[in-house]
Amino acid sequence: MSRVAVLGGGGFGRALAAQVARTAGVVTLWSRQPRESGDDKIRATTRFADVAEAELVFLAVPSIHVAALAREVGNHLDGTHLLVHVSRGLLGNDLTTISQLLRATTPCRRVGVLAGPLVARALAEGEPGGGVVGSLFPEVSDAVREAIGGPTMRIYGTTDVVGVEIASAMVGLFALGIGYAQGRGFGPATTAMLATRGMAEATRVGLACGATERTFSGLAGFGDLMAAVAGDGRPESMFGRALAEGLPLAEAAARAGAFVEGAGIAGQVAAFAERHAMEAPISAGMAALLSGKASGAAVLAQLMSRPVRGE
Amino acid sequence: MKLLPTKPLRLPRFRTYVPAPTDPKIFWFNSERDGIVSDVVRRILERYQGDEDIELCLNDAAYNEIRRHEARTDEGASNRLEYWRGIVRRLSRMSSEGKQETLRECATKMAYDVAGNFDPRVYKFAAKAVPGLLTAVMNPASMIRSLLDSGARLDELVSAQGPIDKLRALQRKGTVVLAPTHCSNLDSIAIAWVLLRENLSPVVYGAGKNLFSNPIISFFMHNLGAYRVDRRIKATLYKEVLKSYSSVMIERGYHSLFFPGGTRSRSGAIEKRLKLGLAGSGVEAFSRNHARGVRRPVYFVPATINYALVLEAETLVDDYLKEQGRHRYIIEDDEFSRVERWISFFSRFRALESACVIRFGEPMDPFGNQVDEDGRSLAPGGRTVDPMTYVTRRGQAVVDSARDAAYTRELGDAIAHSYGVETVAMPTQLLAHVIFRRMVRATPGLDLFARLRHRGDIAIPVDELTTDLGNTRDALLGLEQRGRIHVDALLRRESPQRILERCLATWDGYHLRPVAKIVSGSVLAEDPNLLLYYSNRLRGFAAELAIGNEADRAAAHDIEVMELRS
Repeated sequence: MSRVAVLGGGGFGRALAAQVARTAGVVTLWSRQPRESGDDKIRATTRFADVAEAELVFLAVPSIHVAALAREVGNHLDGTHLLVHVSRGLLGNDLTTISQLLRATTPCRRVGVLAGPLVARALAEGEPGGGVVGSLFPEVSDAVREAIGGPTMRIYGTTDVVGVEIASAMVGLFALGIGYAQGRGFGPATTAMLATRGMAEATRVGLACGATERTFSGLAGFGDLMAAVAGDGRPESMFGRALAEGLPLAEAAARAGAFVEGAGIAGQVAAFAERHAMEAPISAGMAALLSGKASGAAVLAQLMSRPVRGE
Repeated sequence: MKLLPTKPLRLPRFRTYVPAPTDPKIFWFNSERDGIVSDVVRRILERYQGDEDIELCLNDAAYNEIRRHEARTDEGASNRLEYWRGIVRRLSRMSSEGKQETLRECATKMAYDVAGNFDPRVYKFAAKAVPGLLTAVMNPASMIRSLLDSGARLDELVSAQGPIDKLRALQRKGTVVLAPTHCSNLDSIAIAWVLLRENLSPVVYGAGKNLFSNPIISFFMHNLGAYRVDRRIKATLYKEVLKSYSSVMIERGYHSLFFPGGTRSRSGAIEKRLKLGLAGSGVEAFSRNHARGVRRPVYFVPATINYALVLEAETLVDDYLKEQGRHRYIIEDDEFSRVERWISFFSRFRALESACVIRFGEPMDPFGNQVDEDGRSLAPGGRTVDPMTYVTRRGQAVVDSARDAAYTRELGDAIAHSYGVETVAMPTQLLAHVIFRRMVRATPGLDLFARLRHRGDIAIPVDELTTDLGNTRDALLGLEQRGRIHVDALLRRESPQRILERCLATWDGYHLRPVAKIVSGSVLAEDPNLLLYYSNRLRGFAAELAIGNEADRAAAHDIEVMELRS
């Protein structure tokens, strides 16, 4: 019996399972379609009952699939399970987080989120790196550290769950925006400006949701965004570049090769900010761009013409 | 008043009362008191184990107690002062055993000071007297009549809603912890009466020592099992004793009550940020029981207490505005306001119509799961789930304070959510909401404090206001249908015109200044502070209640932003 299970047979799920296999030993990898893992330590399954035998369960599926999967697997789990998701998504215009969804749809309470500069390729290759676990429960952070931490992976912990989730989601959005700007030929100054003002915006949104400011300068915020800017090959950046080349949304998404959470976040954050009477110009501009309501040039002009205040 | 004793009185006992098997658990309290205190002290000694820990704890207690007693002048204070100074003098020379013994002594004294008493005779007397007293406070004009016919009259004034049969069943299966909203000092009395009337077991709760300073209330509180919480004592040791006391009581199966809001809601809004000290002791009690194999469930029951009129509304909203605005809020008519408070106090004794609805929410286990009639915890899909799994790690039930603190925070969120959906909208709250929204509409771009200075200069034609009231009531009923809130019967039943008349009449008899009044066919917003106070209860629903024109929606957005930023 393995103590750890990973739900989701996509690139990130498989990479996570490989990391667990390297660090903690045997791992159960659940996916909807039967598949061979090619590794003795990774036990592939399609049965939720096998997942329920583990104590720590990672949920590595895009946010649009989380609700349905959580309901299904929730029927097999109970209070003993530690449930950790890796999604970069938020739900609805009130920015419901995935961990809130997990608490509402499963009997699990010891939930958490794993975030930071973790991408499938680096994980699979065992490159030195790190991440952060947001959970109110210290035992969840400890369990994740035991499962994937090691000589090449440092896992930090924080109780600012909502901060980690908002930061992680908005980094996805800004990675897309920066990819777009770079695709349009803008240089490092534009990238730095977008990254810095973007994180200021993310911090404002996070604070309105009850997050802590320092989370946004940590691994889930700036740390993650630096990895994206440095070109860790994440789908959001590729999606942004494809859009800059003038590809329609569907084709850009196809080129990114994975579900791009950041594309949906822009509109959600813009609506949230409007309701809370707060400023989120980059998200609003991105939402206008992605919905086809404004061109890249118009968004840029609008952003650059805003009144400048103290930083 | 100072000559009267503040130490709780007990009646002399001529023969020992032997509880009947059908008596609620609280009837056993006196025979268990010494055991409870020694459990509390044992827990304190477990908490402070190392020499350094104990020294730190005693130093902190001595420092805080010396400061407190230095400010007092009575004889008792000088004795206590000498006691604590003696501890400070001896502490550095004490052996480990000496320190432990001193800690035991201090904790025991504190625990006995906290522990209450339960006298079945007082309980039986109160059962008869409370209806009359409560009716007298809520509707003093009919005091004499109500004393003669108290039960029936009080039934009209205080009503109870929610899964009461289920609560009765759960009280037999485990320990029930009631967690109501808090906006008036009448809350604990109103709850006590409803429990009595609905044949639910009495509960123990921590009453502020200020309630004990009145000898008559003190007598009742003390002899009905309430324990004393002295907020003037700042020592960490005292707080630990309080928490352990409440945890031990829950562990031993005493149904309890605490107000998670901590103090009365100043703004009139439903509490969102809860102080969870005592909820934490409920979670801890569950863990401790299960870790030693005692499978006694703990159920938390959120409840909302909804008043058409709040006794202390003026004082509370004043406090709220001072806190919100700090230096920006200028108290007008300072001297007058003092007189006003006195008159307002006596105005309680004038004729009025009042109502209070206590609505119990769905009971939940310490992990926020709903429970069924048989007390089983239900997972979101309706499947039963064993609550013990939440305190189990690697197959063992364990006590883990960090984990339990996290459960407590989540439980707080679940209780706060329940407050939202179990709120009963009262007519005065809806009328205040509609008038306040009009005030916001009439003062675009102003901040709250600038708006509140518009005393009596915003007039709304009566027919416009009743139309608004009717539309907003319809929106409220729509929210009720979607399970978002509950609506008071009068509000559902009466015409908008009649609601307006009744609310104005009710306010008029209660508050010193008119909250709103009709002059030449228009309603004047006379007391914006009180309108804000009463309307705050519905401010979280502002956007959904504004189904009128664009101006209403813009005003509702402003109100909603106040809620979102609170």
